[in-house]
Amino acid sequence: MTEDFDVDELGFNPAISATGADPQEAPQRDRASSSLGVRRRPRRAVWRRRFASGVVLLIALIGMGGAYALFASSSGANTATSTAADVAAGQQLYETSCITCHGNNLQGVNQRGPSLIGVGGAAVYFQVSTGRMPAPGQGAEMTRKEAKFTDEQISQLEAFVQAHGGGPETPTGNLRDTTLSLGQGGDLFRLNCASCHGFSGAGAPLSAGKLAPTLKHASDTQLFTAMLTGPENMPVFNDNQLTPNEKRAIIDYIQTLKESNDPGGSGIGRIGPVSEGLVIWVAGIGAIVLIIMWIGAKS
Amino acid sequence: MTHSTANVPGPDELREMSPEEAMLVGAESGGVHVVHRRERYPIPGTKAEKRAERGVSFMFGLAALAGVAFIVVFVAWPYVYHLPGEGSQRFRFYTPLLGGLLGLMLLGLGFGAVLWAKWLMPEEEAVEERDDEPSPDEEKLMTAATLSVGFEDTGLQRRRMLVGSLALAGGALATVPLVALVGALIKKPGNQLAHTLWGQPPEKYPNGVPVIYSDGRRVSPNDIQAGGLATVFPGVPGGITSANTPTLLIRLRPNQSVKSRKGQADFGWGDFVAFSKICTHAGCPASLYEQQTTRLLCPCHQSQFEVLQDAKPVFGPATRPLPKLPLGIEVVDGTQYFVGRHDFVEPIGPAYWERP
Amino acid sequence: MTATRERETASEPRSRRNQPRTLLGKTGEWFEERLKVARPTRHYLNKVFPDHWSFMMGEIALYSFIVLLLTGTFLTFFFDAAMGEVRYNGSYQPLQGVEMSQAYASTLHISFDVRGGLVIRQIHHWAALMFIAAMLIHMGRIFFTGAFRKPRELNWIIGVSLIVLGVIEGFAGYSLPDDLLSGTGLRIADAIMLSIPIIGSWVSFAVFDGEFPGTAIVGRLYIVHVLLIPAILLALITVHLALIVRQKHTQFPGAGRTESSVSGERVYPIYAAKAGGFFFIVFGVLAALGGFAQINPIWLFGPYNPAQVSSGSQPDWYMAMLDGSTRLFPSWEIHGLFGRYTVPAVFWPTVVLPTILIGLALAYPFIEARLTKDRAKHHLLQRPRDVPVRTSLGAMALTFCIVLFISGGNDLVASAFDISLNAMTWGGRVALIILPPLAYVLTYRICLGLQRHDREVLEHGVETGIIRRLPTGEFIEVHQPLGPVDDHGHGELNYAGASVPKRMNQLGTGALRHARGFFRPVVEKPEIAEKLAEVEESEEASDAAERRDKIAVELEEVEAERRQLTD
Repeated sequence: MTEDFDVDELGFNPAISATGADPQEAPQRDRASSSLGVRRRPRRAVWRRRFASGVVLLIALIGMGGAYALFASSSGANTATSTAADVAAGQQLYETSCITCHGNNLQGVNQRGPSLIGVGGAAVYFQVSTGRMPAPGQGAEMTRKEAKFTDEQISQLEAFVQAHGGGPETPTGNLRDTTLSLGQGGDLFRLNCASCHGFSGAGAPLSAGKLAPTLKHASDTQLFTAMLTGPENMPVFNDNQLTPNEKRAIIDYIQTLKESNDPGGSGIGRIGPVSEGLVIWVAGIGAIVLIIMWIGAKS
Repeated sequence: MTHSTANVPGPDELREMSPEEAMLVGAESGGVHVVHRRERYPIPGTKAEKRAERGVSFMFGLAALAGVAFIVVFVAWPYVYHLPGEGSQRFRFYTPLLGGLLGLMLLGLGFGAVLWAKWLMPEEEAVEERDDEPSPDEEKLMTAATLSVGFEDTGLQRRRMLVGSLALAGGALATVPLVALVGALIKKPGNQLAHTLWGQPPEKYPNGVPVIYSDGRRVSPNDIQAGGLATVFPGVPGGITSANTPTLLIRLRPNQSVKSRKGQADFGWGDFVAFSKICTHAGCPASLYEQQTTRLLCPCHQSQFEVLQDAKPVFGPATRPLPKLPLGIEVVDGTQYFVGRHDFVEPIGPAYWERP
Repeated sequence: MTATRERETASEPRSRRNQPRTLLGKTGEWFEERLKVARPTRHYLNKVFPDHWSFMMGEIALYSFIVLLLTGTFLTFFFDAAMGEVRYNGSYQPLQGVEMSQAYASTLHISFDVRGGLVIRQIHHWAALMFIAAMLIHMGRIFFTGAFRKPRELNWIIGVSLIVLGVIEGFAGYSLPDDLLSGTGLRIADAIMLSIPIIGSWVSFAVFDGEFPGTAIVGRLYIVHVLLIPAILLALITVHLALIVRQKHTQFPGAGRTESSVSGERVYPIYAAKAGGFFFIVFGVLAALGGFAQINPIWLFGPYNPAQVSSGSQPDWYMAMLDGSTRLFPSWEIHGLFGRYTVPAVFWPTVVLPTILIGLALAYPFIEARLTKDRAKHHLLQRPRDVPVRTSLGAMALTFCIVLFISGGNDLVASAFDISLNAMTWGGRVALIILPPLAYVLTYRICLGLQRHDREVLEHGVETGIIRRLPTGEFIEVHQPLGPVDDHGHGELNYAGASVPKRMNQLGTGALRHARGFFRPVVEKPEIAEKLAEVEESEEASDAAERRDKIAVELEEVEAERRQLTD
C-alpha cells in the first residue's frame, strides 16, 4: 500500500523508507513520481517550505527568550531585605539538605560539620552557589561542583542562616566598581591572594591534599563572599582589614585578567615555566628531531 | 694534508681536463675520494626535473611572499594593548602573525635549501682520509729539541734566584688583578643579617615600632577576624620595601593556643601572633595560610610550619621555626594599634655559616 | 656521467695569462693575490661530513645560539638594567600607576610599546630554552655512542662547560626583568650563596652589594648576561667547532667505514646547503614558537616585591632539577659545628649535588678510560647496546635527573592529577633512591637482549614472513641469510659493530639500499634507467670505464681495510 508521503517534509533522508523499501536502492526517478509511490515535490517549493519553517523557529526562539528575559525574576542579586517567608522556606531547605551535618540548631555536629551560627548569609551564598555544599561526603577538600539549588533557594537559605546568628551578608550592586585603579587592585591581589591562588588565578595545592582552587569559574559575588568569609582553609579578610573598596578592586583585577587577551599568542595555561618547558621539549625539540631525521634520510 | 702529491697532474694537464675531472683530482690531492657521484637528472629537461625545480622554487617564492607579508603586518597591523571593551582586540594577533610569517619565511628558505640539495644537486658520497697517523719521528724530535733548547736558553733550570723571584712575581700577577677588579665588590656582612628594621632604638620609638599595612595604615586588633591574616610591616622609613621585614599577623580562634618556645611566651597579644614571613629555608614568603589546620605553607619548596607550635617546621626541607615578632599595643586617640616591641630575637630567613 | 656543459669550456683554448673571467673567479683571484688561499679553500670546501641525523643535534644548539645573539642584540637597545623605582605609564592598563623598577618597566615597554618587541623577546626566550635542550640531547648522543673517547675528551670538557655556562646565562637572562617570579628565584639564589660554609655571607654581600636585594644586582647580571658569558660561550663554541674540523667527525660503523676515514658528503655545495637550510629551519621553528606560544608573561607576574610570592613558582625548565633537589632534600641541617657554626640544609642539594654531578660529567671520559683500560684512539662510534654498562649508567643518570625535574614542578603535578602535595614529596624522595638502580638493571638487560638478537639474525638470517609447509607437515618460516652459510645453514658473518638489517627492505648497504627516501621509497623508473644506460654509452666509453675502474679499486681498498678491522 503506497501513500502520498512527502519525504522532503522530513528534512532528512530516512534510513528506512516510509514504505519499507530501501532508499539506497531507489534508482534515479523523474520529478513527478516514483515507482515506490513517494511523491517528490518540485525543488523551489521545498526550499520555500524550509525557509518558512526556519523563520517560524527563529520567531519562537526569540519570543521565548524575550519573554523569559522580561518576565523571569532577576537572578543573583540578593536584596538586602528578606521576608519571613524566605526564612521559613530556607528552614525547609535546611532541614532537608543540611541538618544531618550542621545540626538542628545550626550548632554543628561533631566530626561532620561546623557550626553555622554567625557565619552569615555570605558564607551560605559562597558555599551553596559554588556547589560545595551540600557536601557529598567528608574529605580533605570540598571542590567546586554544579550548584544544587537555584538562586532563589540560595537566598532563602541565606535568610535562614542570617536570621539564626547573624554574620556578614552577601553584597549587592556592582562589585567591580572601585575607586582604586586596576594596578592597585593587582597589587593587593598579589600581596594577599597570589600566594595561594597563583598570579593568574590558576590555583595551587595546599598541604596534604587540600587545594586553593582556580578562580576561573568564580563570579564577582563568589569572589567577594569568599574573601569575606574565609571558606575552609582560606583566611578571613573582613571589611576592616580589606575594605569593600579594596575587595572590589581585587575583584575588578581578577575578572579583568580573566577576560583579557594574551598579547603573545596562546597563553598555554598561564602557569609559567612548567608548561613552557613541556612545549619546548614536545613541540620544539620534537618537531626539529623529526625534521633532522628527514634531512638525514637518503634520497 | 699532503696526500698523493706524487699524482697531482701539472697545470697543462688540468686545463685539458673537464672541470669535473679537475675537481675530482683536486679532491684526491687532499685525501678526499668521491666514490659515488651521479646527477639526479642526467637527461636535462625532463618533467621530473622541472617538477623538482618548481618545488624548490615554490619554497623560495613562499618565503619571499611571507617576507613581504611580514613587513606589511609589521607596519600596518594594530599592536596597542587594550582591555576588552576599551579598544580593538586585534593586537592579540600581532605577535602571532609576525612570528608565523617570519617562521614561514625562514622555513621556506630552510626547506628550500634542503630540498635543493636533496632533489636537484648531484648525489654524492665521498670518503676522506683521516690523516690520523702520529707526526713522523723527525718532526717530534725537532720539536722536542726546539722546546728543550729554548728552555735551556732561559736558564731557569740553573738560575735558582731567578726562578724564585719569578715565582713570587707570578704569584703577585695572579692575585693583584683579582684584588683590584674584584676587591671593591667585597663588603663585610657584619651582623646585618641578624637584624631587621623592626629593631629600632627605643629613644626613637618609645612605645614600640608601629605595625602598618602595605598602604601605610596602622593595624588595629579589630581589623582582623579570627582565622584571618595580614601581611604587615614596620612603620619606619624603608620598612615596606625591605626584604627582611614582611611579617604575618595571624588571629587565631579563641580556643586555639600557641605552644611557645622558651622565652617567647609573651610575644603574642590576645589571640594574635606574628611571625616573620620570610621562610627559614630559602627566603620565599611563606604565606599560604591554611586557617583551619593552622599551617603555613611555603610555595617554593613546600615547607610547612605549624602555627600552634610557634611556627615549627613540620614538613619539607625547612629546619628552623619562623622567628616570632613580639607584639604590643599602643593606644592612640582611644584606638588600640599594634606595635612591635623589639626586633626578632634571632636572624630571619635562610641560615648562614656564622648564624648566631 | 655528467651533463655536457663543462665540455665546451674545456675544449676552448685558454689565454696565455690564464686570467679568470667569471665574477667568482675574479673574487677568488683578489683574495689569492693577498692571502694565498687556493689550497686551503679547496681543503675546507672538500671536507667530508657524515650525514646521520643524530649528528645534527649539536647544530640545533649552535643555530639557537646565533638566534639568541641576534634577538638579544635587539633587546639590548631597549632594556634598561637599572633598579630605580618608577611609576608605570605605558599601554598595559592593569599595571598603570604601579611602582616598579626601571628594568621591569623597560621590559613592559618592549613587550607592549615597541613594534615587534614582544615577538623578538619571545623568540629570544624560546631560543634559550631550545639552546639548552639541544645541548642536552647532543650530550646524550655523544655519551651513548662513545664519541667522547680519545681523542675527543677535550671537546667533551668544552661541551659540559658550555652546558653549565648556558644554564647560568639563562638564569641571569630571565632574572633581568626583575619580575615577581624571577625575583623569587634570585631570593633563593641568595639563600644558596648564604649557605656556603665560611664565605657564604661574604659571597652574598659581594654579589648583591649588601643585603638582598639591593640596587645593583640587575645591572651586574646584565653585564654578565650580555658581555661576559656570551664572550666565553663564543670562544668555547669556536674551539669546539675547530676541534671537530681538525679531528674530523666520528661516524657509525658500517660498510666502507673504517677508523682511518670518514665518509659522507663534501661541504660544498651539498652539505652547506643542508646545513644552511637547517639553520633557517631552526630559526623558523623558533620564530613560530615566538609568535604562537606566549612565554614569560611578566605583566601577569607583577614587579618583584619581597613580601609577595605566587604559588606554582618555578624557574625555567633547565633549573627545575635544582628546584626538585631542594624540594626533596630532607630538613637536615648541621648546627653547632666547631661549637657555633651552621651548615644550612640548602647547601647540599644546591651546591654540593650540582658540583658532584658536573664533576662526574667532566671526569667521565677519563674514568671510563681508566676502568676499561682503553687507550686507543676511536673514530668509530659504538651502538649503545654494545656498551651495556655505559648505556645503563647513562639511563640511571637520566632517571635520576628526570625524577628531579618532575619534583621541581611537583606542586603543579599534584594539582593536575589530584595527588597530595606531601605524597608528591615523599614519592619523589623514594623514587630518587629506588628508580635509578632499577633503570640500570632494566637497561642492562635490554642491551644484552638487543645484542643477542643482532647475533641471532646474523646467524639465522632475516625473517621473511613467508611461511612454508614442509611435506612432513611442519610449518617453517623462511629466513634470508645475510651472507655465506656453513653446512648447518648458520651464517658465518661476525658482528662488526654496524646495525644489522632486521627486515627484508633493509637489505643492501648505503646507497644501494632498496628502502631509500623518508616518506616513500625512492624507486627509479625503468624508463629512466634505460635512458641512463644510453647516455652513458654515448659518452666516451674509455673515459667512463677508466673512472669506473679507478673507483672500483678504491672501493676494494676500503673493503679490505674493513675486513681487516672486523677480523
